[in-house]
Amino acid sequence: MGLTERIERNVDLSYFEGRIPVNYLYTYGLGFEKFFRALKEEGKLLASKCPRCGTTYFPCRVFCEQCFCEIEGTLGVSGEGTLYSYSVCHLNMDGSPKKTPEVVGLIEMDGTDGAKFVHLIDAQPEEIQIGMRLKPVLKPKKERNGDIFDIKGFKKA
Amino acid sequence: MGQKVAIVGAGITKFVRRAQETGKELAWQAAKMALDSCELTLDDIESVSCGTAPDAFDGVHEKGEYLSDGCGGWRKPYMRQFVGGGTGVFAPIHGWLHVASGMFDTCLVVCAEKMSSCHPHPQGAFKTIFDHTTEQPLDPTLVWIFAMEYNRYMTTYGIDKRDIALVSVKNKKNAMDHPAAQLPMEITVDDVLNSEVLAWPVNRLDISPTSDGAAAIVLAGEHAAKRITDKPVWIEGVGWNLDSAYWASRDLAYPRYVEKAARMAYDMAGIREPKKEIEIAEPYDPFTYKELHHMEGLLLADRGEAPQLLVDGVTQRDGARPMCPSGGALGVGNPIAATGLMKTIEIFLQLRGEAGKRQVPGSPRCGLAQAWGDLMQVGTVVVLKR
Ligand SMILES: [Zn+2]
Repeated sequence: MGLTERIERNVDLSYFEGRIPVNYLYTYGLGFEKFFRALKEEGKLLASKCPRCGTTYFPCRVFCEQCFCEIEGTLGVSGEGTLYSYSVCHLNMDGSPKKTPEVVGLIEMDGTDGAKFVHLIDAQPEEIQIGMRLKPVLKPKKERNGDIFDIKGFKKA
Repeated sequence: MGQKVAIVGAGITKFVRRAQETGKELAWQAAKMALDSCELTLDDIESVSCGTAPDAFDGVHEKGEYLSDGCGGWRKPYMRQFVGGGTGVFAPIHGWLHVASGMFDTCLVVCAEKMSSCHPHPQGAFKTIFDHTTEQPLDPTLVWIFAMEYNRYMTTYGIDKRDIALVSVKNKKNAMDHPAAQLPMEITVDDVLNSEVLAWPVNRLDISPTSDGAAAIVLAGEHAAKRITDKPVWIEGVGWNLDSAYWASRDLAYPRYVEKAARMAYDMAGIREPKKEIEIAEPYDPFTYKELHHMEGLLLADRGEAPQLLVDGVTQRDGARPMCPSGGALGVGNPIAATGLMKTIEIFLQLRGEAGKRQVPGSPRCGLAQAWGDLMQVGTVVVLKR
């Protein structure tokens, strides 16, 4: 039986370095273009509601994943919501420790059908509880770039 | 379907942190072992299925093509498939389709993964799985999204973190009897709880390692299988299912996609009472809580009840319903695409009574292997019987 033939060679290895020389320019897409324009220019948060089944998605999308039909309009939501889950992150992506642990959470957005949004939570780890009410903190208009950090994070409502 | 399909041979390399071998060399080692185990040669193989996870691990695009000679794929009908961590159980399903359809009588299924090339760590590659507009700017790691799932599961059912930590204790101990294991060890619940916090509630010992390794099986149709071996293990049911890639918006306390995949496999295998009929299982355990979460999705435990079965010893190797007798991803290691196939091989060996020191008592006749992956939302299941 093959499994009993244990292969154990794992010696001190020589290696060489490599990298993939590519960079990317992403478009926002039809749905997120509307979302980030409204966020940057008006400080509004947009959802979208399927005209057939009524499911409300956040951020806004251009088609319903269930009915597969087009969603044309958008509707504003308050941006407030309830904390669904969270984690306290201690390490950076390269495995080095963070200077201060960072809290990330999933916020179940008011006025949607259970749509959850992932973002940073501005709170001490001790005061965080699943179920707590949260509201978004936006950057001032002149600092907004049309990216996800136009919302700095969420804090206790 | 055209014909019944059996697993007739299997091979697996040792799982290690950094292998000297390239991915294709690992693939060849596992594939050769699988062929040798049932006394076949590459000439006896009619089709080849390769499973391997993100190209970014190796920095080699079209990795299926890169691995193809190691998989024995040249001058044969060869296909590569990939559903993230779910790949290792999707691969036997994929091979099953080749043979069950009647198109081929034999299929060599090879899963290989070399994660160590990614420097300093594959988290940079994992990051590109997330939505590039709304999520990647936050620098997400896979660990923190699982941390949020772990937290939601634990909070929903009021589960004690000590009970979840027991999964790591059990699986790493089981791995001490596995010849391919990377992280076999005897540890305590306190060791898990006191290990470094990566992203609360996930500690270092809650999580499987990054690994290099490969696994392979030989599939044969009904008549060919009986010619090749007197101990075929039949693939009686297969199931796979994909949920929304808006991962945050799913119910994180319950893996609905695993249930859908399991029900598909159970229906095919004629299983009505999985708790009674599935005697042994290898649920996917890249994190401690996932073994429990997946047992519930597989309908092998009621919702929120899997931790109690663990505490009561039911899922130990000598318990009534052994889970991850191999040592799982936590103990044997987690070379992404190869892990699920390692699990499938464990059930194959257990049903044949060839699992050596890992053999569960009671000569089981029916078991399952399951894997999970993509953006936490794909479930893949195979049900095996002898
Ligand atoms: Zn709809």
